[in-house]
Amino acid sequence: MNLRSDDHSLVVVVGAGGVGKTTLAASLGLMSARYGRDTLVMTFDPSLRLMDALGVGEHARDREVTVAAGTQGHLAASLLDAKQTFDRLVRRYAPDEAAANRILTNRFYEHLAANLAGILEYMAVERLFEVAAEGRYDRVVLDTPPTRHALDFLGAPSRIVGFLDSGALKLALRQWFDEKGRLKPAAHLGVLGRGVEGFLDRMVGMDLLREMAEFFQAFGPLFAGFRERAENVQALLKSPKTTFALVTAPGEERVPETLFFARHLVEGGYHLGPLVVNMVHPRASADLLARPDFGDGAHLLSWLGERDDRGVAAFRRLLERGQTLVDVPLLAQEPTDLPSLEALGRLVTDQLEGAPA
Amino acid sequence: MGLFEHLASRQLIVVTGKGGVGKTVITAVIGSLLADLGRRVLLLEVDPRESLHQVFDVPPSGGEIVRITAPVQDRDGAAPWSLSLQNLQPRQVIEALVRQHLHIELLTRRVMASPVFQHFIEGAPGLKELAVLSEAERVVRPRGKGRSAHAAFDVVVLDAPATGHGVSLLAAPHLVAEVIERGPIGAQARALTALVADPQRTGIVVVTRAEEMPAHETLELREALEEQVGRTPELLVVNALYPPFPTAAIEGSPDDRFLIDLWRRRREGNERELAQLATAWQGSRLELPMLPADRGLRLLAALRHEMLAQLDQAA
Repeated sequence: MNLRSDDHSLVVVVGAGGVGKTTLAASLGLMSARYGRDTLVMTFDPSLRLMDALGVGEHARDREVTVAAGTQGHLAASLLDAKQTFDRLVRRYAPDEAAANRILTNRFYEHLAANLAGILEYMAVERLFEVAAEGRYDRVVLDTPPTRHALDFLGAPSRIVGFLDSGALKLALRQWFDEKGRLKPAAHLGVLGRGVEGFLDRMVGMDLLREMAEFFQAFGPLFAGFRERAENVQALLKSPKTTFALVTAPGEERVPETLFFARHLVEGGYHLGPLVVNMVHPRASADLLARPDFGDGAHLLSWLGERDDRGVAAFRRLLERGQTLVDVPLLAQEPTDLPSLEALGRLVTDQLEGAPA
Repeated sequence: MGLFEHLASRQLIVVTGKGGVGKTVITAVIGSLLADLGRRVLLLEVDPRESLHQVFDVPPSGGEIVRITAPVQDRDGAAPWSLSLQNLQPRQVIEALVRQHLHIELLTRRVMASPVFQHFIEGAPGLKELAVLSEAERVVRPRGKGRSAHAAFDVVVLDAPATGHGVSLLAAPHLVAEVIERGPIGAQARALTALVADPQRTGIVVVTRAEEMPAHETLELREALEEQVGRTPELLVVNALYPPFPTAAIEGSPDDRFLIDLWRRRREGNERELAQLATAWQGSRLELPMLPADRGLRLLAALRHEMLAQLDQAA
């Protein structure tokens, strides 16, 4: 990954929760704009200070706001909001306003839109597609939602499309409900069909199934659009113009999970960019330990330096040929303004530019 | 030890907090301290990739219940702690539930093989969370009648998913109960709503670090819990504090300048966030130091020691 070049129009920053993805995404976006590329940073719930640093607050929710960074390229930031993106998609792809309102007021949709597992990830991808289609930026840096495991980001869109897919649920519900959501006579279903129906009624009640049938009925015309875009987004994510920056913390217990994800990305046909080992404690000198006035703290700090050293070494050993490792030291404090974000960004880009291509 | 005895009477303790703050280790510490008090403890992990076993230096359990006893060198108390842990897959619970209600094997297989069922349990909001809580409730529910009634465990300590998902877990029963009004799932959702809402039966522990983002998320989490679950967490554990910076101005060798500056400013940041949490967080709070040990029994023993010392002090 080289932010000076035009090689990558999409940088996806992935990793487990708490490893510093959002701050890194912002600093990479800033560097990209510094290098003259019009850049959009898309993020979820950054810290207040990071929002201040970028100069974007709540008003950037679901919209792009220019960051006054004085960069050669234009820098914009946007906060993603899953529910609003979902609502907007329904409005856009519904055949008419009445159809859109039928969906938006359906009780099942209300629960679904806010609570569907992986909805944030899916809507990030949807929003990404909207932005990519508009083509107003040379580069988009996408921060991904805080999941425990980086893998969740890639899996979520297909899970949701699977859930929404008319092929399965609509056809299944059609066995029991007619076009108007009325329960059909069960005569044609046979013994097994009646058994399944009885089971579902006992388990969840026919009322819920009726609401679901209505929802999927109303959603029907939208499916083609959803599926097509899901396929386009998959193609975009697997394009050679897209690179994944995989972020991890340095502890050795992180190694198996991180390398598992790296392999999964490569095997899935995605383009893995740098592995960023973030928040690395620097090594202490022997002198530090010898100072009695430093107390237990010196012992802890030198242990942390050794632990992180071990972790980085383990990552390096297990890296596949051709992959780049960037180690970013733990900063004395989190970046709170544009200069400190840029300083962090430079720590990354200097290593990237020094690395073989 | 008042606070802990208070927690010890619960059937379910949910441990949540931002990703990367040490929830899993704290779950293990709390579980082992409850075991010290003679409670029969099951630690439940719901993450598909196991990590709880690392705290006890044992191999992953693959979904089975594993029994663990304190190693000899850590038997500081009169009776060594002993507890069980399990990595729970929500799908297994849902499939067991289907089996239990369907009775006919052919039907069961047909239901489970159908794409509708597969997509439904993957995507349906709240269903997996409900399954996890159901399983927790099942193992602490007394079986049998009268005086011979006996539960498999006294208390489940749940290593819950990170913040947002942690709230979803606790809010799931109510959410499902609103949508599904009938049948066994509706009844179960109502029963679990009552379990989660009852501070006598369910305890909530939030783990955080004294850094800007985790501390901010912690206060948001508290609000979300009050709003969506009607509950206030019992305990806040502030984990992994940098050690106090020596009061005298110190100058190390030039090689260590960056490191010493890092220590001073990270500790200042910790103190700033601690002060903020002390004002904004009403309720019990424990502060744990960052310790020079990898995840494993040695870290567990050291954290147990720290926590006990603070609990004694508080009492």
